[in-house]
Amino acid sequence: MLRDITLGQYYPVDSPVHRLDPRAKIVLAFLYLIAVFLVRDLWLYIPVALYLAFAAWMSKLPAALMLRSLRPMRILLAFTFILNLFFGAGTTELLRIGPVVVKQEGLMNAVHFSLRLVFLVTGSSILTLTTAPVTLTDGLERLASPLKVFKFPAHEMAMMMTIALRFIPTLVEEADKIMKAQTARGADFESGNLVKRAKAMIPLLVPLFVSAFRRAGDLAMAMEARCYRGGEGRTRLHVLKFRRRDAVAFLTMALLYLVLLLPGFIK
Amino acid sequence: MPLVLEQVSHAYRSGPQTTVALDKVDLTVRDGELLALIGHTGSGKSTLAQHLNGLLKPTSGRVLLDGQDINAGDANRRALRFQVGLVFQYPEHQLFEETVYKDVAFGPRNMGLSDAEIDARVREALALVGLDFGEISPRSPFELSGGQMRRAALAGVLAMRPRVLVLDEPTAGLDPRGRDFLLEDVQRLNRSGTTVVLISHAMDDVARLATRVAVLEKGALAMEGTAEEVFSQYDRLTRMGLDVPQGFKLARLLREGGLELAERARLEDIAAELALLIKGGDGDAA
Repeated sequence: MLRDITLGQYYPVDSPVHRLDPRAKIVLAFLYLIAVFLVRDLWLYIPVALYLAFAAWMSKLPAALMLRSLRPMRILLAFTFILNLFFGAGTTELLRIGPVVVKQEGLMNAVHFSLRLVFLVTGSSILTLTTAPVTLTDGLERLASPLKVFKFPAHEMAMMMTIALRFIPTLVEEADKIMKAQTARGADFESGNLVKRAKAMIPLLVPLFVSAFRRAGDLAMAMEARCYRGGEGRTRLHVLKFRRRDAVAFLTMALLYLVLLLPGFIK
Repeated sequence: MPLVLEQVSHAYRSGPQTTVALDKVDLTVRDGELLALIGHTGSGKSTLAQHLNGLLKPTSGRVLLDGQDINAGDANRRALRFQVGLVFQYPEHQLFEETVYKDVAFGPRNMGLSDAEIDARVREALALVGLDFGEISPRSPFELSGGQMRRAALAGVLAMRPRVLVLDEPTAGLDPRGRDFLLEDVQRLNRSGTTVVLISHAMDDVARLATRVAVLEKGALAMEGTAEEVFSQYDRLTRMGLDVPQGFKLARLLREGGLELAERARLEDIAAELALLIKGGDGDAA
């Protein structure tokens, strides 16, 4: 039951995109998001789609996996589409069924905003699908390190994120085990009303918290035993390096921007 | 009525690959026996244990209790779990109530028993694991020692009076005293009629307690028989990365040294035979 939860959705294959510098990928993902917002005309989604398809192909990601990232969004997507379809301003009537009116501008907006959401979500999923969570936090730490000047605790944040990510699978496994152990004693997690179900969680949550605190204590001890004293003066095993392939990736992004912005200049 | 596994296979998906945890296992747990399940880490012992009370469903094959398929659509799996009690590894991690009494009562309460019946069951279960009711039952389970916590957790399962008790490495992480206490509890239970399935890495315990031994390797049933039958296949077990009881090793070395000893698994039997040999062989030794 709990195995279905995928928090770290990293897809472990070897591809040029997987090998990109995480900092480059984070910045590229950010630039991509801006690019999606730059789209004013529907037909400009074609270059965005092509770019996305190219990135997905380079990342060796199965299409089904990327589409799966849309699943949690399906309700929001439906809302966006329906609200825009029926309640948009506009003049040209396309369809009228009783009091319900569909206008041309409404339809265009519905398609436009829905596509925008789809592209935002699938595009950013490439980042999390091709970057291992620890690498991702590593990249974030390095990107945020200039903020240390303003006393922003970049290292501590990254360390906390890394530890949290590291413990998610452990805790999921632990929760699964405790759930099974209590089920073996006749606990029922799946039926009854909300209050009953919330109460049924107590036999799961208490042992889970106890073990989380125990693990946290052990980990703190183990880190101190290895002389961890914060980020000051720590060197790294894997030093991030900006390589040629990162530059190439940025070039492709520049190309996308060129295609998106060019029509504006020509006019 | 026995608990029967018929061609049980279990596969699960993790990311892109499918892992086969159990591969067409045929195994019968006979009434009243103490069946030891041994195998290398990752051989599927724990997965098999979870099939015995329906926590996991076989991908293919059937699990039968009293001739009924426990995973059939109309089967009452909850009632089944009260009949086949499963004690997980480190069961003390499942303790959660304010007092030991309440924690042990959790199972019987889920069974919908009356308060009087629950009280009787809690007293009985705590007595079975050798914990003093007056002293232990009002205390918080988190105040107990490791060995006591483990036994309180075991009592939590015993309070449901299961006919079959499945124990997944019950002695892992206990000190020798705690281990001996716990194994005594298990043996006592088995003698009083409860069928026991014991998963263990401690081969000496297996040799001493088990009436039958089943060996799993890579999810498949590799061997099955009495402790003597299984442990006499020393080389095969070693190849699987499994150990044999110390007594068995000693007997083997003595045999290699020229002594004539029968294949026995229990330390006591080997010692008795040795004593006989030494006493009876006085004349030769001189």
